[in-house]
This record gives sequence, C-alpha cells and structure tokens, in this order.
Amino acid sequence: MAKNSHAGDVAFVQALAELLRDNDLTELEVKRDYAEDDSLTVRVSRQTALMVSSAPAPQAAAPQPAPAASPVAPAPSTPAEAPSDPSQLPGAVTSPMVGTCYLQAEPGAPSFATVGDKVSEGQTIMIIEAMKTMNHIPAPHGGTVKRILVEDGSPVEFGAPLMIIE
Amino acid sequence: MRLLRRVPLSTKGDLWPEGYDCIILDSVDSTNAEAARIAGDLKRPTWILAKTQTAARGRQGRHWENPVGNLAATLVMRPGGQAQEAALRSFFASNALFETLALYVDRTRLGLKWPNDVLLNGGKVAGILLESMGTAQGLDWLAVGIGVNLLHKPDGVRDAAFPPVALFDEGGAAVEPDIFLNALAANFATEEAIYAEMGFDMIRDNWLKRAARLGEVITARTSRDEITGVFETVDAYGNLILRTKDGMVPVPAADIYF
Repeated sequence: MAKNSHAGDVAFVQALAELLRDNDLTELEVKRDYAEDDSLTVRVSRQTALMVSSAPAPQAAAPQPAPAASPVAPAPSTPAEAPSDPSQLPGAVTSPMVGTCYLQAEPGAPSFATVGDKVSEGQTIMIIEAMKTMNHIPAPHGGTVKRILVEDGSPVEFGAPLMIIE
Repeated sequence: MRLLRRVPLSTKGDLWPEGYDCIILDSVDSTNAEAARIAGDLKRPTWILAKTQTAARGRQGRHWENPVGNLAATLVMRPGGQAQEAALRSFFASNALFETLALYVDRTRLGLKWPNDVLLNGGKVAGILLESMGTAQGLDWLAVGIGVNLLHKPDGVRDAAFPPVALFDEGGAAVEPDIFLNALAANFATEEAIYAEMGFDMIRDNWLKRAARLGEVITARTSRDEITGVFETVDAYGNLILRTKDGMVPVPAADIYF
C-alpha cells in the first residue's frame, strides 16, 4: 500500500533527523531499496533542514498534480534527469507535512497567490491541512511565483514541492 | 474589531496551570485571528478568552455562531518542532475538552470523532480549529481554537449529521466560560505533560478509549473522494486508519460521518 509505506517513510526521515542531531552530524544520505524499481533516497542536512528526493517509484505518483486541465498547475513531467526534480530547484517551497493543500482560505475566496504574483516574505501562499490543523505556508522569501505544483484540494506528501518562488 | 480590555487571569485560583498566561477580551473578531496577531511577541503559551466574537469561523471558513455565554477561546503557543507534530495537538485538545465536559455531564454520553470533534448525546457540542504557521524548517506558532456551546446551540446549522447541542440543554450545569476555561486549560496542560513524559502513544490510546464508533464502519469525506471502511485505529502520526477492501487506508484530512 502506497500510503502505508509513506507513513514508514516519514518515520524513517524523522529517525534520520534525530540521528543527525544526536550525533552532531551535518549531513547524512541513505538509500532504501524496496523493490527493483522502487527506492527512496533521503538526504538530511543540518543547514538546509530536510531534503527528501524520491526515485520515480510508483508511490511518487500520488502527490503529483493531475495532468492538464488546470491553468495553475503546469504538471512536472518527470523526465529521467534528476535536476528537473522541482524540489531541487532554487526557490522551491516544500511541504512540511502530509495532508491536503488549499490554495485559498476557503472555497470561493481568492487564491493566496497565482503564477506571476509578487509575494513578500512571510506572506501565506497556501494552507496544508492535517488532523484539522490548518498550517499556513509562508513565502520563505520575497519574489515572483513562477510555478504552482499542486492543485487545490490535492493530497501532498512530506517534502513535496509546492511552489517555485524566484 | 480589536480587544477592548485585557485582564490577567491571576486570581483564578489553583486550577490555572503554571506557565500559561491568559488574556480576556470583551470582544474580538476571532480568537484565532488575535492569536495570529500576538504570536510573534509571545513569551509563554497564552489562552485568549473572548466574551463575544464578531467574525467567528470554523474550518474552511465555515460560519461559527458565538452567542454570549458560550466559550470562545484560543491557546496560542510556540512549541517548536515540526508542523506535523504540532497537528497532533488536535488530539490533546479533544482529550482535554472531553475531560472538562465530563465534569458536568456523565462521561458515557460523550464521544470523540476523529480527529477533534466532541459529541454529546450524539450532537456537536463544540468545535476545535487549529491553525499554525510553519515551513519545512520548522513551526513558527500554533493556535488551538476551541468553541463550546455551553448555554446556547446555534440556529440554522448545515451539518445535520451531527446536530448542534448545548451543554446546558443536555442536562449539564450552567457554567461560566471563564470557569470552564480554568478546567480546560488545566486539562490541556496535563495532555502536554503526558505527551512530554510518555509520548503520543499515550495520548492516542486515551483518545481511542473515548472514541465513538471504533471498530465500526464510518465514512471519511476528503476534498476529492469518500472512503468508507472499518474505523481500525489512529496511527502514530494521527492519521485515521480505515480498513477497506483494498487494505488499510490512512487518512490525514477528512470530515467523518457515521
């Protein structure tokens, strides 16, 4: 079950983060092979907090936005080369939690940010809900919204890229 | 509409938990909105109690009525850690509220609905809305907003699956909001202490003991679809676990119906 293994992934990353802290390390990289074409690579670094990159495993398909249809979500087509992973791009804002993302405060309200908008540091750019906790994601820095990588109401995973602000 | 009056709650007796401040407001737009405004300068975890709210709201901007005599309070805190961990406080809040209501009514008439709804005689007696600000680098602040129908139940509520009820109407005492908050704050502080000493497993186990419909078929309505299955448990991250014909499905965000 994709979702079950995800819960395990989160525990795995949390355990690595603790290991890093407890042993005063600055960086740690581990690859887990679940199956021939299903692996998880985690790099935890103290300067940049948590960085998670997942191989193009079947699981990774879940949090990706649905293709086409929406003007706000230019879906990242997943080419083979690693640098195109949106979470690795400079300016990528990643999800601090597993949950459902919302692009506006409530149904019918204007979006927090749309592509082309200028945003300032600390401004709420989206909300991710888990356990009835509405977590506001602030813009980590001022800039222009280049891409929105999730659709309103879609499930997001820990570390999933949400938005590119340059 | 901002606050009209600030009163330190220092004279409230021995029940008030150590290490927590309290602000009492005559009127405010919403206690969660006030929490967001004061979070940046917060010294200690602080409860905000408002006699009236002019723009009370529930999840997803749903209207929340707040007549005088009902509880409208928010705990704002900066506990550190990650946003994912902060969200576990949904369960602290519902456990604490369950125990506080159990001071006034028979606890067998109370039940919890994932993750933080408290039911009294099968009706919705309270609403809990947590809001936080946090990035992958960590949590900035968390606000735990709690509204309780102490005296009045709201009119014209859409969610007929769990009709609103008031504590007073259901045979509970007529309790003043500030008195109720004393016990609620103490119970919430106890949940924090249990979490710090014993971890989330203990919080979760206690929550499951109070849960309605455990082991029965329930429905989780997410923003995209509907999942029906047997309410198996809550996992270590607070996800609702439903046993469906496709296996165990963890649910991080949904409205629950049964």
